[in-house]
Amino acid sequence: MPAASSAPALEVLGLTRRFGDVTAVDDVSFVVEPGRLTGFIGGNGAGKTTTMRMIMGILAIHGGEVRWGGRPITRADRATFGYMPEERGLYPKQQVLDQLAYLGQLRGMTRRDATAEATRMLEQFGLGDRLKDKLEALSLGNQQRVQVVASLLHSPSALILDEPFSGLDPVAVDSMVDLLRERTREGVPVLFSSHQLDLIDRICDSMIILAGGKVRAAGTAEDLRAAAPRHYRITAGHDAGWVREEPGVDVVDVAGATAVVGFDDEPTRERVVARAAERGLAEFTPIVPSLSEIYREAVR
Amino acid sequence: MNVTTSERQDTPRGSGPGAVQQPWLVVTVREIMVKLRDRNFLISTAVTLAMMVGAVAVSTWFSSRTTDYTVAVTDAGAAEIVRAADELAGGDSVTALERPDPGAARAAVEAEDADAALLAAESGWTLVGLSEVSNTLDGLLRDAVTEHVMARNAEAAGTTMAELRAGSEVTVEVLDGDADSALLHRIVGIAFAFLFYMAAIIFGMTIATSVLEEKQNRVVEILATAIPIRQILYGKVVGNSALALAQIALYVVVGLVALNFTDLVADIGFLLGAAGWFIVFFVVGFFALAAVWAVLGSLASRTEDLNSNTGPVMMLIMVATFGGIFATGTWLTVASFIPIVSTVGMPIRMLDGGVPLWQTLVSLAGNLLAAYVLVRIGERIYQRAVLQGGTALSWRQAFRLEA
Repeated sequence: MPAASSAPALEVLGLTRRFGDVTAVDDVSFVVEPGRLTGFIGGNGAGKTTTMRMIMGILAIHGGEVRWGGRPITRADRATFGYMPEERGLYPKQQVLDQLAYLGQLRGMTRRDATAEATRMLEQFGLGDRLKDKLEALSLGNQQRVQVVASLLHSPSALILDEPFSGLDPVAVDSMVDLLRERTREGVPVLFSSHQLDLIDRICDSMIILAGGKVRAAGTAEDLRAAAPRHYRITAGHDAGWVREEPGVDVVDVAGATAVVGFDDEPTRERVVARAAERGLAEFTPIVPSLSEIYREAVR
Repeated sequence: MNVTTSERQDTPRGSGPGAVQQPWLVVTVREIMVKLRDRNFLISTAVTLAMMVGAVAVSTWFSSRTTDYTVAVTDAGAAEIVRAADELAGGDSVTALERPDPGAARAAVEAEDADAALLAAESGWTLVGLSEVSNTLDGLLRDAVTEHVMARNAEAAGTTMAELRAGSEVTVEVLDGDADSALLHRIVGIAFAFLFYMAAIIFGMTIATSVLEEKQNRVVEILATAIPIRQILYGKVVGNSALALAQIALYVVVGLVALNFTDLVADIGFLLGAAGWFIVFFVVGFFALAAVWAVLGSLASRTEDLNSNTGPVMMLIMVATFGGIFATGTWLTVASFIPIVSTVGMPIRMLDGGVPLWQTLVSLAGNLLAAYVLVRIGERIYQRAVLQGGTALSWRQAFRLEA
């Protein structure tokens, strides 16, 4: 991934936000590297949206700071970002192209440029014949596409997208991923939140797992997998129940001749493999944990 | 749908974004364009204009309508009476139609060649009509007959009508010489007050609903990341004030031109000054209220909330409107100095003349100050409340919100 090394990174340092007595975001720190698609994972109420709103400056920060390119972020920096709020934000009763041109103008584009760019992007999204329609006349999926265009229109220097994939069909998800890849290739840092763990697993360069307002895990998928406890599948003999008798073995599951286990240390692993060989070893495979397993482990 | 990456032209990054000059102006232009494309707004404006022109035209027509009556007569005496009736008729006219005999005269009425026939009877006169005789014509001919007969009787008695009438003249003396124009001032004053009332509410509601629309649909979150949020408020206030000004000016100009085409008002010159000041006061007064409307929009969370939370500002507009119409004397003078209320009060006072210029300017300055203060307070609350989802807020809650 040829991320431009000169492109600025988005850093979040000790970010904290309280609502009354509840601390919604508690000392959250992470980095969104330039040119990286960073997934922001967490259940409902984990603090994803609150964090994103603080990054975008529409919610006051109670502690910590947001840095852009190594210095505290300014309002002018944020104006160059692309943002898609969780609850979508466009004018239902205004024509699609017209309102995109307006949003482009507010980002400092000329009306002509904004109109041309919005037209081009809408055409890419298969909405070329809906330019003059009112937004509310479009299906929810198409409204979502317009929303995507609104956040990408002005060639943003960073993208903060709250649940950009919700409500999109699989084809639209692919187009959206292409669009985001297009941006990351230019060195734009992209932070997006999602509940769809398999999707994040498939497309993300790195991820941040948030639970209860705290960062539980962060890094690339490989980092997280490497850090996760390793499990193996053993198939030997007729009944795998014997693994329960072995010291130093963490038995996850036993079903017939097959058991899923973890080992406390390397000697234990070697010993168990030797025992299994005596019983007629049919299979011994390391299990690569899925992201959802890592996630469940992290937020447990 | 396939999104390819190769077609994408590279816009130089950082060249445009974030560098928007005068973002409020972009907002203002949008506010105006949206309203100008709003069919309801265009239709209601056109209908109002048509009604204004129509009202002037109708009253002109009523006041200048004349009727020509034709009366069939058979002799010189009747013809003389008809001539006398014609003189009494003023704007209308009464013409005699000579017929050889009563039968022919009746036939003329029957054929609708004449509105009536005036025939000599054994004692006095008979007025013949088809199914009826119009009240106006009846009255005119009766007066003329009375005059004619009394003149003849007077002559027979050796005297004249002038002598008989001596000492019976009643002359009317009016202490307030401007009686006519006082009525006109009153009508124009009421017109000012209602123009203010209409525009203040229509455009005020426009501001409130457009703020609410952005809050409800979360557009404001995107706008807030692009430009300082108070710029949105400025843009809306300026845009709608400009629209309101344009509409009021249009009404006033069309109204004055329509009046000028009629004989209703001999000279509209006296109106021009007051109308000009009315427009100036209107703009400043509306500007002051605009910020309040924007705050109301930002406090609401649904359209229904506007019905309840706009009560106080509606009340203020009513006070200004009806205060201007009904206050007189000292009360009117006081009203003409209270910001916002003076929007109607001062121009109405000025209609009657005799308001020193300094008073007008002081009142205007008061309005400007009120506008400034309200916009300042308004933007503080607006900035906080408009990003606050959930339930409707009270002013007090909004003040306590953190930025």
